[in-house]
Amino acid sequence: MIVHTGLTGAFPRTEELVRATRDLDRGRASPDSVEALFRTSELEVVALERRLGFSTVTAGYLRWPDLFRAFAETWEGFSVGPLTRWFETNTFYRQPILFSPPLRVPGAFAARIPAPLRAEPASARILLPGPYTFAGLLENRSGETDSALVHRLGRLLADEVRELRGLGFSTFQFTEPLLVVRPPDGPHAEAVVEAYGSISKALNGGTSIVWTFGKDALPALRILDRLPASVVGIDLADTDVDRLPAGGQVPALGLGVLDPRTTLPEDPTEVVRVVRAAAERRGAKTVWLGPGASLDLLPPEPATRKLEVLSKVQRTLSEGGRP
Amino acid sequence: MTERLFPAQEIGSLARPRWQLLGQRGEALDDGARAEFESWDRRLKFAAELPAARDALLAGKTKGPGAEAVRDLAALFAIRYLESAGLERIYDGEARRVEMYEHPVRQMQGFRFQGHVRSFDSKYYLKAAIVEPVRLDKPFDVDEFDFVRTHAHAVPKIPVTGPYTLADWSFNEYYLARQKGWKGRSARRSAQREFVVDLAKNAIRPTLRALIDRGCKVIQIDEPAAGTHPDETELVVEGFNAATEGLEAEFSMHICYSEYRDLLPALLGAKRCTQWAWEFANRDSEGHDGYEVLRALKEYGDKRSIGLGVVDVHRDPVEAPSVVADRIRRASKYLGDPSRIWVNPDCGLRTRSLEVAYAKLRAVVEGAALARAELSKPGR
Repeated sequence: MIVHTGLTGAFPRTEELVRATRDLDRGRASPDSVEALFRTSELEVVALERRLGFSTVTAGYLRWPDLFRAFAETWEGFSVGPLTRWFETNTFYRQPILFSPPLRVPGAFAARIPAPLRAEPASARILLPGPYTFAGLLENRSGETDSALVHRLGRLLADEVRELRGLGFSTFQFTEPLLVVRPPDGPHAEAVVEAYGSISKALNGGTSIVWTFGKDALPALRILDRLPASVVGIDLADTDVDRLPAGGQVPALGLGVLDPRTTLPEDPTEVVRVVRAAAERRGAKTVWLGPGASLDLLPPEPATRKLEVLSKVQRTLSEGGRP
Repeated sequence: MTERLFPAQEIGSLARPRWQLLGQRGEALDDGARAEFESWDRRLKFAAELPAARDALLAGKTKGPGAEAVRDLAALFAIRYLESAGLERIYDGEARRVEMYEHPVRQMQGFRFQGHVRSFDSKYYLKAAIVEPVRLDKPFDVDEFDFVRTHAHAVPKIPVTGPYTLADWSFNEYYLARQKGWKGRSARRSAQREFVVDLAKNAIRPTLRALIDRGCKVIQIDEPAAGTHPDETELVVEGFNAATEGLEAEFSMHICYSEYRDLLPALLGAKRCTQWAWEFANRDSEGHDGYEVLRALKEYGDKRSIGLGVVDVHRDPVEAPSVVADRIRRASKYLGDPSRIWVNPDCGLRTRSLEVAYAKLRAVVEGAALARAELSKPGR
């Protein structure tokens, strides 16, 4: 079995970074000192990812306040709106408000990519909002229909991918919890497939990962299986492996195997068991493993302990043995 | 339900005055803190009731045991502040509590704090994991309540964080580890149920009983996490019922920033809850009637009173009394019975300055008076 591993969302900030960013808000720290700490912390996350043998690195996306802000603050047509609950968690994002059809600003998103990734783009995993989740979670005052907006965001994200491919990036994760939380149907489903069709054309040999979480993925499998993406990920904290349909033939399967809702570390033996069971049912020879959702729902120490489990699982599966 | 229409109550925490923060740390007051203290004391005349604490604070001599005297002074300040605004049910602005999660968790046994987790932007909260069964060596908040009861002229209404919210805001290690095999949704659900019920029975209920034994008659159970997982509403109810079983007091349940319709009808199973204290003003804007959701309670035939959020606690502009009155009017129409309405801010006012919070509380009281006068007119 070919096994890829990596973070699928932001990594938690260290206690030192928590203190520094709080102090910055309160005027007790200088922007330069906080910037220096961010730079050090990003390099520490990259070092952790490399030590654990992950296939892709992220530098933790430590500066990102949420998944949408890099776009809501830089693309035209948006403003940053009210605090809104991020699915079934006690964390919040600022809801983007779209006043007019969005326009991409070339270079703006690339500038928000963590510096260590820009220095070594080939192994970086770029996090992007999936077009369906982006369209579904923003407040649409643009006058466009929801389906047209999914289409348009798909084309704009494809342009983004094209630009980033030119900079040497090759792995793109589209974070799409809404696909399983509120599976699209009818014209919405077609719009989603077409949006990913646009993205697929821009990949030029790169890898696209659609990552879902937040609800049982089984009711959404029909649409997930149609997506023209290199990998589609489902969260096994919410989806029962034993109910996955048998006899599938997916080229690569993404599996969320670490649960960021609890500090309890996963049992590597159990993880290996469910990964093998899921891969067999879906007929996948390649798996992409990671946390089910963003690990910044945890403090850094328990998050690191979980990632060590992932590394162990990766070695076991690659070698075909027992943990 | 109430003797006069639309009595006003508080709902939770207030901002800490700077003089309290400095005084608790044993530091001398700077000019701003001193001016703030003196300005509020001129308005509320509270400090003369605790002269030793006042003198120590102003002399900058509150190190060590003096910190408790500063907390007393801050609690007394909040009591007089809320009474002076015209509220009939008050507490102490949670002047002695760190915040609504960390405070109760630190009183219990079985938890281990894990570190800070981001709530949004650069705002974080300290989060604990349950690593052993929930235990409580000693009921908490009893001394705090005694102080309020001794000093308050209005009726004390104590806020207590509910078992479901405490569980939802913690990491579940102990109970989850007891589940066999893969820790999927169903294992998580079973583990969470055990956690909530243990919290309710082993920690919250003994505390509520101790408070009631000390004369507490009105208790607000805070369950802001209730809306996080609407499909767990039955667990919210199970926790509430287990926490209040066999106890006699006037219990309310505070929930905010949730889709209330998603919680119904399961929430109505909260047996000893006599009031829903919910946020509404935040969602009430031009073109969107934030109170229309109250129709759902009427549809289900629920007759409990409502703690009606009539001012938004997340924005500084102060609502005009006429706006508050309009909100009360609409709520009365949807409920079909104005006598079931209490009025309050949406939630705790801790994020607003003391000046803004006071103005908002006055708007609650004045808006209620407007609505009351209107409904008392002949022919209405």
